[in-house]
Amino acid sequence: MKSYDAVVIGAGPGGYVCAIRLAQLGKKTAIIEKEKIGGVCLNVGCIPSKALIFGATQFHRAQHDFEEIGIGFKSLDCDLSKLQNWKDGVVKKLTGGVTQLLKMNQVDVLTGTASFKDGRTIEVKGKSNETVTAASFVIATGSRVVEIPTLPFNHKNILDSTETLELKTLPKKLIVVGGGFIGVEIGMAYAKLGSEVTIVEAMAEILPGTDRELVSVVEKKMRKMGITVLTQAKAMGSRQLNQGSEVELEIEMGGKKEMKTANRILVSVGRRPNSDQIGLEKLGMKLDPKGNVIVDSQGKTSVSGIFAIGDITGPPQLAHRASMDGLIVAAVIGGENAHKDYKVVPWAIFSDPEIATVGLTEKEAQAKGIKFKIGKFPFAASGRALSTNETEGMVKVLIDESNESILGVHMVGPEVSNLIAEAALAIEMGACVEDIIRTIHTHPTLPEAFPEAIESAFGKSIHIFKPPAKPK
Amino acid sequence: MDFKLPDIGEGVHEGEITKWLVKVGDPIQADFPMVEVMTDKATVEIPSPVTGTIEAIFAQEGQTIEVGKVLVKIAEKGKSATPKVDAPKVEAVAPPPKAAPSVTTSEKPSQREVTAPKQDHQVLSFTVLATPATRKLARDLGVDLNQVKATGPHGRVTKIDVQMAHGSIEAASPRSSHPSSHSTVALSKATKIQIPAKGEIERIPLRGVRKKIAEAMSYSKRTAAHFTYVEEVDMSAIVELRKSAANEAEKKGVKLTFLPFIIKSLIPALQEFPFLNASLDDDAQEIIIKGDYNIGIATDTERGLVVPNIKSADRKSVWELAKEIGELSESCRTGKIAIEDLKGGTFTITNAGSIGGVFATPIINHPEVAILGVNAIRKRPVVKDDKIVIGDVMFLSLSVDHRVVDGADAARFMNRLVYFLSEPKRLVFA
Repeated sequence: MKSYDAVVIGAGPGGYVCAIRLAQLGKKTAIIEKEKIGGVCLNVGCIPSKALIFGATQFHRAQHDFEEIGIGFKSLDCDLSKLQNWKDGVVKKLTGGVTQLLKMNQVDVLTGTASFKDGRTIEVKGKSNETVTAASFVIATGSRVVEIPTLPFNHKNILDSTETLELKTLPKKLIVVGGGFIGVEIGMAYAKLGSEVTIVEAMAEILPGTDRELVSVVEKKMRKMGITVLTQAKAMGSRQLNQGSEVELEIEMGGKKEMKTANRILVSVGRRPNSDQIGLEKLGMKLDPKGNVIVDSQGKTSVSGIFAIGDITGPPQLAHRASMDGLIVAAVIGGENAHKDYKVVPWAIFSDPEIATVGLTEKEAQAKGIKFKIGKFPFAASGRALSTNETEGMVKVLIDESNESILGVHMVGPEVSNLIAEAALAIEMGACVEDIIRTIHTHPTLPEAFPEAIESAFGKSIHIFKPPAKPK
Repeated sequence: MDFKLPDIGEGVHEGEITKWLVKVGDPIQADFPMVEVMTDKATVEIPSPVTGTIEAIFAQEGQTIEVGKVLVKIAEKGKSATPKVDAPKVEAVAPPPKAAPSVTTSEKPSQREVTAPKQDHQVLSFTVLATPATRKLARDLGVDLNQVKATGPHGRVTKIDVQMAHGSIEAASPRSSHPSSHSTVALSKATKIQIPAKGEIERIPLRGVRKKIAEAMSYSKRTAAHFTYVEEVDMSAIVELRKSAANEAEKKGVKLTFLPFIIKSLIPALQEFPFLNASLDDDAQEIIIKGDYNIGIATDTERGLVVPNIKSADRKSVWELAKEIGELSESCRTGKIAIEDLKGGTFTITNAGSIGGVFATPIINHPEVAILGVNAIRKRPVVKDDKIVIGDVMFLSLSVDHRVVDGADAARFMNRLVYFLSEPKRLVFA
């Protein structure tokens, strides 16, 4: 029986980061993965979806925007299977890189499913068949898609996000059940490639929980692209048509039934933690009612010597949060007094235009009883946005009136998934208004919108005209 | 009700919690002491304004709390734990600090129980401004960021603020008196002292009076250029004088020690040498000559050294001085000394003679520039008119800040003091 200082279960963005850091700290480390190194994020989530979205966006821009800037072409088409090959290549390159890094750091990779035998030993079954012990375990098994009983996956035309990202032929009609960020991202990508897309959302609005002002910009673009959005609409069941070449979805909207046909249905209604397949019940590990593993600020579970990171510990289910958890837990195992004390977790939706947000929303700040100012800057007033012909969107900043620190930054527009990093740094550093507006931002770039948004809260944005107060 | 640290003396902005006399859940009666708070030099017991139960405590022992900050939450007897009717009223006066709830540990007991044991990590209030590096430092040092006095722009907590809250550095008086480093920042690195843990050791937190003494003494030693000048004086005349007043002292019920006579002799000497009744203002580069003669008396108490001073000693009779010395030392010993009695001293007398020793080299009581050590009066052979006789001899040791007073002046001052002490009748002409 092999014995390790630390064994990490799951090689996603939480697990592999944790394993590499553990190795860097001199711990004899193994990582157990039942499928592919890189987990959902690298193989079937963040990375492939971003590659597909990139391809679809290039195609869409060529079709709709090139003429305006004087670029013409004889013919244009998108070979979806070629796009998929390229996307797969991207994934392979990245996961290969991570595999290589694990190897170079002398992390043992055990391929198979892991199951705890007791609090000190774990059994791996699959390509590797062995039982290992360790002083510390890190559970990083992530989450998986949720199925809805009325619409079970048939893996032919009722698909999960993984399968939808791998389509080799373009569905003429695509229905997306679930208007969360995965549904919106994939739905918009296929719409750009030419599918007729309908989004079916059970709640009153798509992207629930996101600032409405941001979402409305994306909704406007959806309408322009011809995407149909049905809200307060419930998927009740399905029927196969024409020997399965089409599928009919039964939708209940406002007490009325409606039928809608499609070639493919993507069901993306959320994810649940993978806490039910690794023998945690044997250990008496404490889970919350939703099955998330309960951890403290050091990632410790209720079972001594076992840590948990990432999606399995509950929302926010984000790769970068999992990675940070992994670094902190590795430090704790390494003997450091590390804690998850981040103030904020930024996140981005790769819709068109992108949405990115960090810190408190207006509703949250109000609920906390914080007095705040709001500053906004539209990208239509940004030189860079104009010169790349992407002027939709804005930057919105919430400023704490008591000390002029930044409470939250919410963006919709071009490249905002990149722009949000500065805002996250500002909040973590406790930056105040003066710190940001006195930092020179390169011209002409999109980040100039951040200080301008702040200035606008005080009526001092240079590029937004505000009539001076009339003398009384 | 939320009980805030009250104003406990003129010019006092903050106090250090030295001891909690109650804990969460304890019943408390109105006017019974809850907590000991140490201000500049005195420790004060703060009583509860109401009868009830302690609901929550917002400051730990060793923490420094600003006046007006919520110290403790008391559930008043006969009222519900959190009186809804009273809440808006309390807020109208001054909203409780936002940080307070995050310090309590009574929230969500079920979750606490499940999640792992340690709860040393505090949830950051969104309004505490500190960089991730500062937050890590606070965690490593066990400092609650919500309680740190912020000095950065817009109330940002800096690394130095955290170190100061922790006590690893002090703004004006670093704990470690490293002789070569004068910068407080540099000191922060030099403070870790490795103490070999052989055998059993006990670690006693440096708190309260002990901490203040440590700070004040090392600061004085580090800033003032100390030198000590020693002289002897024949106290026979004063011994006689005191003896002659014994009956009257008994009648008055006053304990007549030698100190009032020494003060009486000291005043004309100080008047002739005003530089010894002075301070040095480092920032302004000015010497401040004091018009008042507030004579400090170093007083030994169970808690440590306390120095109350007799205000306007130049205008008081021997009897008044004797009475006041008795009162001050009594209130020092019982810990009831008023802050005003501890402030504004201009010159200090320290008396080691009652215990023993030939002489000591006292440390100046900053910001004063001189301190007089008076020692045991012992029968010694003295030469008088070329004859050896028995005299009541006492050594005087005078420590002086050489930045302000030179050796020759200190010697001249001492001569003048000896002139009066040896022949107290000369005081009539003084």
